[in-house]
Amino acid sequence: MNAPARISRRLGASGTANALELRGVSKLFGALVALEDIDITVRPGERRAVLGSNGAGKTTLFNCITGDFRASAGSIRFFGEDISTFPPHERIRRGLRRTYQISLLFAGLSVLDNIYLACVGVSRRRFSFLRPRRDDSLMAAAGELVEMVHLDADRDTLVSNLSYGQQRQLEIAMALSGAPRFILFDEPAAGLSPSERGDLVEILNGLPAHMGYIIIEHDMDVALRVAESVTMMHNGRIFREGKPAEIEQDPEVQALYLGGGDG
Amino acid sequence: MRGVIDRHPFWSAVIFVVAAVLVWMIFAVWPDWLKDLIGRKKVFLNALFNGVTLGGLYFLVASGFTLIFGLMRNVNLAHGSLYLLGGYVGYVAAEVTGLWLLAFPVAFILVAAFGILLQFFVFRRMEGQDLRQTLVTIGISIVMADLMLWIWGGDFYNITPPEWLSGPMTTFFVTTVKRSGDLVFLKYPLVRIVIFAASVVVGIGMWLLLNRTRIGMLIRAGVDDRDMLSATGARIQLVFVGVFAFGAGLAGVAGVVGGTFQSLAPGEDVRFLLASLVVVIVGGMGSIPGAALGALIIGLAEQFGSVYFPTYAVVLTFLIMVAVLAFRPQGLMGRS
Amino acid sequence: MALADNRLASDGRDRPTWFERVPPAYWVGGFLLLVMPSFASDFILFQIFGWTFILGIIALSLMFLAGYGGMVSLAQMTFAGCAGYMVAIFGTSAITDISLGWPWFVAIPLALIVAVLLGTLTGWLAVRTEGIYTIMITLAIAAAFFYFTRQNYVIFNGFSGFNGVLPPQLFGVDWRGSTAFYYLTLFWAALCYFAVLYISRAPFGLALQGIRDNQRRMSALGFNAIAHRVAAYAFAALLAGIGGILLTWQSAQISPGTAGIGAAIDILVVAVIGGLRHPIGAFIGAFIYVILKTFALDALEAIGLAGERFQLLIGLGFLLIVFWSPDGVLGLWARWRESRSRDPLLERGGERP
Repeated sequence: MNAPARISRRLGASGTANALELRGVSKLFGALVALEDIDITVRPGERRAVLGSNGAGKTTLFNCITGDFRASAGSIRFFGEDISTFPPHERIRRGLRRTYQISLLFAGLSVLDNIYLACVGVSRRRFSFLRPRRDDSLMAAAGELVEMVHLDADRDTLVSNLSYGQQRQLEIAMALSGAPRFILFDEPAAGLSPSERGDLVEILNGLPAHMGYIIIEHDMDVALRVAESVTMMHNGRIFREGKPAEIEQDPEVQALYLGGGDG
Repeated sequence: MRGVIDRHPFWSAVIFVVAAVLVWMIFAVWPDWLKDLIGRKKVFLNALFNGVTLGGLYFLVASGFTLIFGLMRNVNLAHGSLYLLGGYVGYVAAEVTGLWLLAFPVAFILVAAFGILLQFFVFRRMEGQDLRQTLVTIGISIVMADLMLWIWGGDFYNITPPEWLSGPMTTFFVTTVKRSGDLVFLKYPLVRIVIFAASVVVGIGMWLLLNRTRIGMLIRAGVDDRDMLSATGARIQLVFVGVFAFGAGLAGVAGVVGGTFQSLAPGEDVRFLLASLVVVIVGGMGSIPGAALGALIIGLAEQFGSVYFPTYAVVLTFLIMVAVLAFRPQGLMGRS
Repeated sequence: MALADNRLASDGRDRPTWFERVPPAYWVGGFLLLVMPSFASDFILFQIFGWTFILGIIALSLMFLAGYGGMVSLAQMTFAGCAGYMVAIFGTSAITDISLGWPWFVAIPLALIVAVLLGTLTGWLAVRTEGIYTIMITLAIAAAFFYFTRQNYVIFNGFSGFNGVLPPQLFGVDWRGSTAFYYLTLFWAALCYFAVLYISRAPFGLALQGIRDNQRRMSALGFNAIAHRVAAYAFAALLAGIGGILLTWQSAQISPGTAGIGAAIDILVVAVIGGLRHPIGAFIGAFIYVILKTFALDALEAIGLAGERFQLLIGLGFLLIVFWSPDGVLGLWARWRESRSRDPLLERGGERP
């Protein structure tokens, strides 16, 4: 590719393109079809909730988007750029972030160090042999994130000593490090107390307007308060897509999911 | 088979052409230009035979290693020591009784028993702790090497095959045509041919055992899905012990073979451990056909290397390993 | 094992100066090491401590890879041997046909660069695999280097290798003199030790430990795990290369056996006996190994065994350690302290220092 073409593509990438565009994405595990022919389009700044029962393929979808798994078929575009074949770290460096359903934090490090590591990962300093100085910009950015998720009182606490809810908040702070453009939240509210859920909703609604995300959420109440559109998944396929109100009223969805008990 | 050809038409064609050229080189009387290019046919045929038979020996050692790894994920870096122990034990048995054939069962049983001890006292206590297993087996191999040095000293030992096996055998491969028009046939040590045939039999036997019997199915299922195995209950520990004993015993038998083929001395344990490692890395960990293919490739590479590029014969085998690692890290027959 | 437990980012508030943070044991140890030449014999300085520091540096390179990176490499002695060969080839030795005789300030950096390149290449091959495979592949690479140097006469002078490889006469000092050599090796050992300590808390080292603990998570933070691991190999090869050059100077020769399979395994033994958790373990292990290797002969003969049973002794010691204390002597030490600090009446663990 010559230089002008690359530049124009970059421009196109941040200008008009969709934040995320999945076309015909499928994922097979042997004979098991985990995802089948998924098409999803998310505009920049759009906030989308993905609903569906266990085993509907939501987390697999996230894994395919972030590259934890390579999709078996289909293409994934991120702000216009085809990232289908990129390794995970390349996708992250382009501004994609995610949180994990199960906390994957570094238990032997403090809260601040965990966030610092996340900030380093998307900076040029990831290979630095030098320890951070006191006026380090990444350390300062990490400090701000600590405040944003209300963990300032515990910034030097080891992660292993945090409560479950605090760990989930830390997960979110790590996903917010280093100017993300789009975030995938994998059940951030699972296991949180009602008041913690309120905090979570507040954090999500407080994100800058350009920062779109997809959130997997079992709790309809949370999902509907933080998302402007909803995708319903079932058995590895997209079942419905629409505004929260439409989805909530759809009789088939109700039969399948909302009335289905464990919601 | 057809599937492989369909998927890789280019490589299948390359392999086919190479095989055809090889067959021609083995059976045809060489024209002069070929002789000028790479020397006499006898040298070539000898290298080929030596390589194939050495591959048979490597297969005997490496198949046990790969079987144990495949089923139990146990890395036994004392495998080379088992080989050398088998060789020494077989030597003593053959010397004392004067029966060469007796060396095999004695070596097999004793080394297998030793393998059971290893499995019982080391590997079962450290299930899932790969690194510790490796370190412990390194420690065991250091201790065994010194104990064997203590008992048998630093001399070279040769296990002599019986009368009826010693001496060359005339094969039906033509090496050259005399001026008188008579065909000259290749002579090759009978014992090597017999041993190679035996290792082929062992290989096929293992394959049949794994693919055609109930216990083999159990073992293969264990290789594919270890959780399934542990769910089936306590009897599986017996299978583990059995496989470990068999793999170790095979290494012991290989020691007798190696003592007959070549010689036994301190340091051979490391050599055969390395050979096993390279063979299974090239062939693919845990795969018996992979071990066979890897052993054949490494055996041939070593022998052709020592004939045609004598200085770098050993390096050639490692280059093959590096190439495999770079392009197919799971090994030629390994699954990704 | 989780990330090391001291904190990197404890902020400026009431942070003690570095001077206060150094534990007293370090001051005592450092002082003893500095004044050692005033009372120790030449043999102790050159043979015991010189060798301990050198082996310690090479074992430290393994500790860095294994302890922080989770990659147990048996090729560290190979990198050391490679650097040793390269000073002999680029610099001066008794084999004047091969040695290029370039000045030390060219030969030494070049030797280290070649060692780092070899380390990078090895890492590039080894990091495609995990755990046990890494051990096997690095062992195979070590063997390849050994056989190659033994068979190649054009560059490596085959079986006999190079002799007469001496350190440069810098500042008019004979650096192979026992006191000078002691300080030379002490300096490099200390430098490497503190470098590893420092880097373990720098972004590179932290990320390496993060990758060891959870590679997938680190990828999701934007770290390229493969590149990080390869870089760790390169850095470890630099350490090993420094050790290798010193080793070559100490014995004034290098031959295939220096980097043979036995030597490669010895480095693993040294690092594991000492303990892979902390850089100091490498030097503790090296000290134990050197003491055993030097005095085992007499000790074994004293109890009526032949002196050559040294390998047996080392092997058994190694077995005992890996069987009962996978964290080596450091692990034993930690356990002993824990049991001492436990108050028998309250049955409560003491405060960790």
